[in-house]
Amino acid sequence: MAIKTTLALFVVTTFCLSAMPAIAHKVISSVYLSGNVIEGEIGLSNGEMAVGKKVVVTDTSGQLLGQTVTDAEGFFVFKPQGPFVHVFTSNLGPGHVAKSEISAEDLAEIVSSGGAPRPAMPTSSAASGAARQVLSTPQDTAALAAMIRAEIRPLRRELAAYKEKNDLQTILGGIGYILGLFGIGFYIAAVRKRAKE
Amino acid sequence: MHIVDGALSTEVIAGGVVLAAAGIGYGLKHLEMEKIPAAGVLSATFFVASLVHVPLGPSSVHLILNGVAGLVLGWAAVPTLFVGLLLQAVFFGYGGLTALGVNTVVIALPAVLTFYVCRRGIASSSLKAATMWGAFGGALAIALTTAMVALFLTLSGDEFIPVAKLVFVAHIPIMLIEGMLSGAAALLMIRVKPELFGTVSQGA
Repeated sequence: MAIKTTLALFVVTTFCLSAMPAIAHKVISSVYLSGNVIEGEIGLSNGEMAVGKKVVVTDTSGQLLGQTVTDAEGFFVFKPQGPFVHVFTSNLGPGHVAKSEISAEDLAEIVSSGGAPRPAMPTSSAASGAARQVLSTPQDTAALAAMIRAEIRPLRRELAAYKEKNDLQTILGGIGYILGLFGIGFYIAAVRKRAKE
Repeated sequence: MHIVDGALSTEVIAGGVVLAAAGIGYGLKHLEMEKIPAAGVLSATFFVASLVHVPLGPSSVHLILNGVAGLVLGWAAVPTLFVGLLLQAVFFGYGGLTALGVNTVVIALPAVLTFYVCRRGIASSSLKAATMWGAFGGALAIALTTAMVALFLTLSGDEFIPVAKLVFVAHIPIMLIEGMLSGAAALLMIRVKPELFGTVSQGA
């Protein structure tokens, strides 16, 4: 009986699907260890970065550790205060809050080594021995680390964008779930009705 | 339009969950068997409508289509929209699971209010009048939704008037678009399936 309506609405749904190159407008933020500081970036999933936004840093109990501001590319830097979880929160306007945190284990290494970049391990395996020979000074290591970070930054960004992408499979899967759920509802309603009769 | 995790205080989240649960329970009671397929399709429509973005200045807003769901389903729109919101949170990461209760109230309550405001008008015998009421309902639901968003953000500590203004102004184009869509949907449904609205007014 509701077939015609159902069909009509289905046409609307398909229309929506076809007009759908859109990306979700939501907040993406990430923080990661970069040398002896914490680096992070905040943006919206439409590619826009959060420029000049205040980032508040707290620990897990909400104790204020400090604050920083994002630059023209949505980046911010923060010097870790100790080997515990740092939570970064930034309010981007009504309903949009960026929140991300960095774990205590990540921070433990740099804090214990006095803020210097991680030195080569004294334990010797063949690989780390070779690495020590090539990277003789800590300065070299730091420069190389900075270079690698600069190289992988676009990859990181692309990966974040990729994670936000809603492909057709996801959408169809969601619709499938919805129809399935309502099918179950319909079944339950039918069983109840039959029990009454 | 979805409020994200972390933008709300714990009390507001708890309140939202309680209200949403009550609404879903009440809505399920009012979901007649004949309306279940329509509810499923409206839920799916709502689910994908959020992916249709309307570019607007530096930002973009997306369709919501809670007005149509409210007009057709009345209280049963609450569980219907809840299912859509749940899957949006799981699949697209909209809103988030802790904000789900609040988002259900924000989206579904305006749908129910729209139903009460427009149910007489949409059952009108004049096709033109019914279409106009459908269009009005679509726009009204969005306007009410912006007010709800502002209200919940205010309860969590933001200032009401500036937030409300910002959200409302940002959604004026959506109100227009959804008004037209709802009007067209109402016209179509009255033509092919007049009982969809008719049963509602008889039952009331």
